[in-house]
Amino acid sequence: MSLSRTALRAVRSYSTASPITVKHSTSNSSGSLLGNVEVNWASRSPVERHEIYEKLAEIQKQDWKALTIDEKKAAYYVAFGAHGPRQAVNPPGHSIKILVGTLAACGAAIGIFGLIRSSAPAPPKTMTKEWQEASTEMAKEQKINPITGISSEGYAGKGFVSA
Amino acid sequence: MFGIQRAIARSSRPAFRAAAVVRAPTVSAIRFNSGGAHAHETESYESFNQRYQTFFSNVEDVFELQRGLNNCFAYDLVPSTSVIEAALRAARKVDDYATAVRILEGVKEKVENKGQYQAYLDELKPIINELGVTTKEQLYNL
Repeated sequence: MSLSRTALRAVRSYSTASPITVKHSTSNSSGSLLGNVEVNWASRSPVERHEIYEKLAEIQKQDWKALTIDEKKAAYYVAFGAHGPRQAVNPPGHSIKILVGTLAACGAAIGIFGLIRSSAPAPPKTMTKEWQEASTEMAKEQKINPITGISSEGYAGKGFVSA
Repeated sequence: MFGIQRAIARSSRPAFRAAAVVRAPTVSAIRFNSGGAHAHETESYESFNQRYQTFFSNVEDVFELQRGLNNCFAYDLVPSTSVIEAALRAARKVDDYATAVRILEGVKEKVENKGQYQAYLDELKPIINELGVTTKEQLYNL
């Protein structure tokens, strides 16, 4: 198919006597095209991609020992590289970003909590230990809850002391 | 002559005994976990390798090769070097260099440690050199 087309082109160029452009099918002319396949594969148009794919298929038909490292890499990348369905779900550095973000959010929460606590009023005077011990004394003097509670026999609890 | 004697001796046994001998192989001791739903469920490692070696040597196109590789590497075992060699030759046959590299990458995924992978590479060295396949590590200097 392509052979007949080139033949046709050759005939036509003969008749019009325009300069003949020769396209080599060997890999050397495609060096620049295949050298950076991995870098800008994503930005290439589907037509270009197909062109590269077909070129690589053609290159792979020759002896594999004759392939350059760029051609090998390009062939591997186009077939099995990290694009399309093989593209990583998360970009590189994603988990570090998540970790840093989570720690920052936790730190901010703790900071806000501390800030609010520091500006809070002092606890009421009834929350001091002295007051609570005095309350317990008073409860025992007045025999509060004498059967099961604070004034009962053998009571071992803390009474009104909360801390 | 001995065969004939033995045959006569066997035929002279009581009928019920002979019937039991004939029926014995049909009652299989192999238990099919799936009730027989999966093909090749109880095949041995040798017959597995034989099956895939035959498959890869009959491969005609890239699709068949990659389909076979997907199936072959889906088992809880590492295919033998003969299977890998047949697969590499199939890749050469369909002119797909990338798949050849991928086969070696698949072996690396399947083996348990680097030593086993290296053993596979050493064993496959002749075919790798013959076809000019490079591993992914060599390609990307990993």
